[in-house]
Amino acid sequence: MSESGPRLRDVYITGFGAHLPGPPVGNDRMEDHLGRVHGRGSVVGRRALRWNGIASRHYALSPDGAVLDSNAGMTAKAVSAALDDAGLGLADIQHLATATTQGDFLVPGHAAAVQAELGAGPLELASYQSVCASSLMAAKGAWLQVRAGEAEVAVAAAGEFSSRWFRPAFYEGTALVDGKGRLATEADFLRFTLSDGAGAVVMEPRPRDPGLSLKVDWIDLTSLAGRFDPCMWAGSTRADRAAMDSAWSHAGPLAAHAAGAVALLQDFELLKIVIRAWIGVWLEKVDSGRIFPDQVDHLLCHYSARSLREEIVGLLQNTAAMIPEEKWFTTLPETGNIGSASIWVMLEAFMRSGRPKPGDRVLLIVPESGRAMIGFMMLEVV
Amino acid sequence: MAGEPTTEAAVADVLRKLAVVFADFEQRLEATPLIRKLTRGRFELADYHAFLINLRQQVKDGALWMSRAASNIGEDHLELRSTLMQHAVTEHRDFRLLEQDFVASGGALADILSARKNVGSEALSAWMFHEASKPDPFGLLGAMWIIEGLGSIKARPWGLKVRERLGLPDEALRFLLYHGDNDVAHMEEFRDMLAMVLPDEAVAERIVTTAKVTARLYALQIEEIAA
Repeated sequence: MSESGPRLRDVYITGFGAHLPGPPVGNDRMEDHLGRVHGRGSVVGRRALRWNGIASRHYALSPDGAVLDSNAGMTAKAVSAALDDAGLGLADIQHLATATTQGDFLVPGHAAAVQAELGAGPLELASYQSVCASSLMAAKGAWLQVRAGEAEVAVAAAGEFSSRWFRPAFYEGTALVDGKGRLATEADFLRFTLSDGAGAVVMEPRPRDPGLSLKVDWIDLTSLAGRFDPCMWAGSTRADRAAMDSAWSHAGPLAAHAAGAVALLQDFELLKIVIRAWIGVWLEKVDSGRIFPDQVDHLLCHYSARSLREEIVGLLQNTAAMIPEEKWFTTLPETGNIGSASIWVMLEAFMRSGRPKPGDRVLLIVPESGRAMIGFMMLEVV
Repeated sequence: MAGEPTTEAAVADVLRKLAVVFADFEQRLEATPLIRKLTRGRFELADYHAFLINLRQQVKDGALWMSRAASNIGEDHLELRSTLMQHAVTEHRDFRLLEQDFVASGGALADILSARKNVGSEALSAWMFHEASKPDPFGLLGAMWIIEGLGSIKARPWGLKVRERLGLPDEALRFLLYHGDNDVAHMEEFRDMLAMVLPDEAVAERIVTTAKVTARLYALQIEEIAA
């Protein structure tokens, strides 16, 4: 490989921030908090909660439906917390990379809204939009900015405001509700899965002193979108989602809403296949020597080990690719699944947990069902 | 460097490589026109009939190449020979199920009996018999991983989707539904078979290569199905 200019630099995460809106909402209250569709109880809710293991979460909506914060507002609060943690201020950011599933506005990008909410001066922005793995897209961008010497301080942030999508008005009067007032499973399941919040990390070319930092070894993302129809999506119906000309914006907002295309949806049969595809990418990383499972001291992932089915755990064990459950660190039961923000919320809690010790290797895994993607980030505690 | 790996480590290593091959195989299958029709709600009875017709050749040949492979296993591996022979006995009439499903779903028996192999089935069949004709054809364990994996992981979900889409009774779906048996037990049995021939670097490489070729040819067989 040829190199021109200065050599690539090592990059460290020096600040960690998280923001969770409002008080925690327990499983007994969450359905009433979001609002019941046509006043009915969910058919799949209990099953969804058993599967994902979530016991409480946070919403940026009050129980009466009032909006307490914006996606950009939450993301900005997480960025401020991360800067604070790093001992830096707003004026120090040179590159701001944001991730989200859906910003507050359709246009322009989320990063601009976050910058505005922060009240930050002129800086370079990048908006990454996907689902959970957008977090690592932004992290990879920020990492490379610092690594290449383009920025001295880069921030990777992620925010989600999923609960707005889960209010009854998003479903009532649409084709997602049947004649008996029951909400379609592909819509209902996610109401019990996703919630709100934001997280951020600060990256610099040197570790902080004193205190623990995380050296970024590498970030790998693999998308398998060429092989799968959308697995989690918004903007088309279940039946038509493979065709891009079925997009909500082609039909127009009113027609699309009536068809049930303006809702977050998940195909759970396809999800089972996508999980196997994630495992396939993981096994390939192990097989090629990119990851040595027995050298990973801490694993952070916003899926719980217990939600993996018996045959998947069996496969991982039989292929010497399982990382034992005692090495998994998670806040999933308390903070819920916050999509792209989950990984930073977990990492922030991990750094405060007393678990990381200098020399430990920390692996972040971010699977995204969207159109089948998985990301990995390898870190070392310094 | 350490010396010979343990049997356990060698088995885990091959299984991991096979799982990666299977993941790629499953994704290729998902992208074939026939499976796309099934998952996108466009699957018709004619597609189901074409599916059964085209599977039948491969299922019928399965027990035959397995028998031939067993007959080519030397006396150092009698246990593996026994296992393959048992497998062949268990499966050698399975193609009759496909014929019965075809008739129960409204097809004419003569149509499935007289159908020709598609391009992919021709290639797959030739490849399997070629491999099975070699002495000690242990590479075929890789082919079994692909084909049996399909039976234990994919067949039943496909059967349920066909039932949901076409509203067929279970007696017209027995081949697909009946294959969804215990995956965990399958895995244990397969590990035992690998342990009969590993550790051996050349054998390990052959098993993985045979799995890759079989997966590509199998996917071609499904890709070639058009109602």
